[in-house]
Amino acid sequence: MLELSGVSVDIAGIRVLRGVSLAVPPGGRVALIGRNGAGKTTTLRALMGLLPVREGRVALDGQDATTTPAHHRARLGIGYAPEERRLFGSFSVRENMLLPAEVLRLPRPETARRLEAVFTLLPELRELAPRRAAGLSGGQGKMVALGRALMVGTRAVLLDEPFQGLAPALAMRYAEALARLHQALPEVAILITESNPELLRSLVEATYVIERGEMAPA
Amino acid sequence: MADWFAENGLLLGLALLDGLAYAALVFMVAVGLNLVFGVLRIVNVAHGSLFAIGAYTAASIGIFFASRGLPPWMSYVALVLAAVAVGAVLGPLIEKLLLRRIYGHEDVLQLLVTFALFMILEDVQKLIWGVQPISQDTPLRFLGTVDVPFGEDVIPFTAYQLFVLPGVAVATLLALAWFLRRTLTGRVIVAVTTDKEAATAMGIDAARIMLLTFTFGAGLAALGGALASPTTALVPGVGAQTIVLSFAVVATAGLGQIEGAALTSLLIGLGRSIAVYFAPEFEVVVPYLIMVAVLLVRPQGLFGVIETRRV
Ligand SMILES: Nc1ncnc2c1ncn2[C@@H]1O[C@H](COP(=O)(O)OP(=O)(O)OP(=O)(O)O)[C@@H](O)[C@H]1O
Ligand SMILES: [Mg+2]
Repeated sequence: MLELSGVSVDIAGIRVLRGVSLAVPPGGRVALIGRNGAGKTTTLRALMGLLPVREGRVALDGQDATTTPAHHRARLGIGYAPEERRLFGSFSVRENMLLPAEVLRLPRPETARRLEAVFTLLPELRELAPRRAAGLSGGQGKMVALGRALMVGTRAVLLDEPFQGLAPALAMRYAEALARLHQALPEVAILITESNPELLRSLVEATYVIERGEMAPA
Repeated sequence: MADWFAENGLLLGLALLDGLAYAALVFMVAVGLNLVFGVLRIVNVAHGSLFAIGAYTAASIGIFFASRGLPPWMSYVALVLAAVAVGAVLGPLIEKLLLRRIYGHEDVLQLLVTFALFMILEDVQKLIWGVQPISQDTPLRFLGTVDVPFGEDVIPFTAYQLFVLPGVAVATLLALAWFLRRTLTGRVIVAVTTDKEAATAMGIDAARIMLLTFTFGAGLAALGGALASPTTALVPGVGAQTIVLSFAVVATAGLGQIEGAALTSLLIGLGRSIAVYFAPEFEVVVPYLIMVAVLLVRPQGLFGVIETRRV
């Protein structure tokens, strides 16, 4: 269970989140919907520990994680695919995907197993593996970012507006990949942000809405 | 043209040899500056002070070794020892006490703080080593000179400047390229350079990498200074001169590629030394003329990639 309760966050001295609360149960699929600037990215960054939480609590399986250093959250099994894919451009796709596993010093067989599982889930990544990340298209990059998040996200993956900018055909493929992900790894929770609530309707079980940094009725 | 060569050939040869040796030293400083900026996003004005302190420390250790009657080859140990000591002591001290507090602050503040540090370190040098020139050229004399054939003539040049300086620079370049590409720590440094937040989300402890990179960069600058120390009499102000040149290199090369920094060091080192021999009044400006000329054509630098900055 991934939980934010009453979380407030400031950026550059301005309050951006005001008492945001949400819960993602184990294996649950949850959407966070909001317009541009509503605070979706900030909410995910707060969950990842990338911004200090001023008020409220972040908890993981009931354990307080509010002040857990950001770089420990990958170790706790949370994968994050940021809004703009933010791959490491000079690395190959494979290196991008392996980096978090290497950083966490996962045993080799475990790393190989996870990589294989991701390739099975997202077959196009197998072909892209030797390519330099800088040369990928936007859609390919999003797939790689998802794959990279899954390499450490054994409990949950946080996907920030993965559908934005994807052509309809690609968006369809991405949605299918998410559905396969839920079937193959039912224990992995998925939190997706999106501005258009219709888009995720069939993919998620619960929806939260955020408006101007505050929770709004769904 | 032929006449010109008959008259000035020797001078040109000397300028090239000198320029090569000088470029090697500039590279050692510039590559560290580049690496540190990439990871910490701070332009460290005091980087040149680390060069100067490395030079003074190497000379002091060398003089101490000589006073103990140690063999001359030990003066090389002194160079390495100085670089390691300065990097390992001053690197963490500066990063933890000072830089750590200004990460992510406005550029102006960062410049002021590192400039203040530069001023402080200048005074510390004067306190410890005084203002009288200090010379310790055992490493240079130990290897003697080589007669370099140049057309009809030979140019006697020190083996130290001909082989040791370029050799260390090339070895540093190759080792660094290998390290950044092939080791996990190297790839982690590249990842933090590319995108600190994404790297953190991958489980990378960026604070640790920043400390490590700064210490390493400080060590490289100190090694550059230590290597330079036998070739010149040390006086206050060497730090400023070096940093200014390596800024020119980093700006001309653009950020990111160490191979680019190496080629640009060569360009600027040779340019400067040709000026020293043929138009000494331009010595100081030539590196900047090169820099301005390059930046007018390619604002991202010779080898820089255009960065898409996100806020
Ligand atoms: N670095 C920053 N500096 C100043 N304000 C910021 C910064 N980042 C975000 N904000 C502000 O915080 C608010 C929430 O931003 P956030 O990026 O979380 O929105 P979002 O819901 O992800 O929007 P989008 O759909 O555009 O991605 C916005 O009003 C934004 O202007
Ligand atoms: Mg956003």
